[in-house]
Amino acid sequence: MNIILKVILAVYNFFVGDLVILIGVTLLMVILALIHFLGALAALRGGSGIILIVGVLATLVATLGREVIRPENRQHDAT
Amino acid sequence: MQWAIVIAAFLASAVEFVEAFTLVLVAGITTNWRSSILGALGAAAVLAVIVATLGVALVTYVPIEVLRFVVGFLLLLFGLKWLKNAIQRYTGLKLIHDEQAAYEANLAEARARGEPAKPGLDTFGVVLSFKSVLLEGLEVAFIVISFGGSGAGGIGSAALGAAVAGVLVIGVGALVQAPLQRIPENSLKFVVGIMLTTFGTFWGGESFGINWPFSDLFLLILAALYLLASALLITAIKQRQSRVALATATSQATMRSQEKEVRL
Repeated sequence: MNIILKVILAVYNFFVGDLVILIGVTLLMVILALIHFLGALAALRGGSGIILIVGVLATLVATLGREVIRPENRQHDAT
Repeated sequence: MQWAIVIAAFLASAVEFVEAFTLVLVAGITTNWRSSILGALGAAAVLAVIVATLGVALVTYVPIEVLRFVVGFLLLLFGLKWLKNAIQRYTGLKLIHDEQAAYEANLAEARARGEPAKPGLDTFGVVLSFKSVLLEGLEVAFIVISFGGSGAGGIGSAALGAAVAGVLVIGVGALVQAPLQRIPENSLKFVVGIMLTTFGTFWGGESFGINWPFSDLFLLILAALYLLASALLITAIKQRQSRVALATATSQATMRSQEKEVRL
C-alpha cells in the first residue's frame, strides 16, 4: 500500500506537482466536454475558445495567488 | 518540419540538459569520465527507447481526436507548471536555480564518500550519471511524445530539437568542463512555459471542435496573450511584495520605538 501511494505521488509530482493546476485544467476540460457533447449547451460552443483561454489564465492566477498568500512566503517578504 | 515544435523542444531540452550536465560533471570529476559518460549514454538510450516505443504506439494506435485531447491536457499541465515556477523565480517567491551552488553541493556530497577515484568502471559514477540524465530527461521525453501526437512530423521535429540541444550542451560543457552558469535558465523556462501552454491550449481546443481564427497563425496570438498576462502577473506580484516588505519594516520600526519608550 505504501509503495503504491509512493508511486502515485511520484507520478503526480512528475506530471504536475500542483493541485490547483491539476484541478483547474481538469475542470476546464470537463466544461469544454459538456459544451461540446450536450445539445442543451450548444449555444455556448461559439465561445469555447474564449472559455478555454480565460480558464487557463484563471488557473495560472489561482496557483500563483496561492503561493503569494502562503505563510512561508509572507515571512520571506518580511526578511 | 514544424519549426515551432523544434524550437519548443530545443529550449525545454536545453534547460534539462544543463541541469543533468552538472551532475554528469560531478560524476566525472569524483569518479572517472568513463563511468560518467557510460551512465549518461545509457540514460540517453533508455530515453530514446521510451520516445520511440511510446511515441510511435500513440501515433499509430490512438485516434487523432483522443490524441489531441491527451496532448493538450498534458501540455497544459507541463506548461502551466513551468510558467508558474519561472514567474515565482522572477518575483522572488522562489530562489533562482544556481548551477554553481548545485554543482558544489553535489561535489561535496560525492567526495564525502571518501573513496579515491578508480581507473576502471565505478558503479557510483555510472549510477549517478545515469540517474541524473534519466530523471532530467524524462520530462523532455514526455514533451517530445506529446508533440508527436500533434500530427504528421511532430515527433520528428521535437526529437530533432531535443537532439540538437543535447549535442550543443554536451559540446559546450565538454569544452569548458565547468557548470554552465551563463545559460539564462529561468528565462528559458519562462519561454518554454509560454510555448507549452500555447500549444496545449491550441490542440486541447481543437480536440473539442474549436476552430481557431487565422488557423495556425493563432498560435502567435495565443503566445502574445500569455506573455502579456504573465508580464502583468509578475508586475502585480512584485508590487505586492514590496508593499508587504514596506509594511513589515514600518511595523517593526514602530515596535522598536515603543519598546525604547517603555524602557525609558
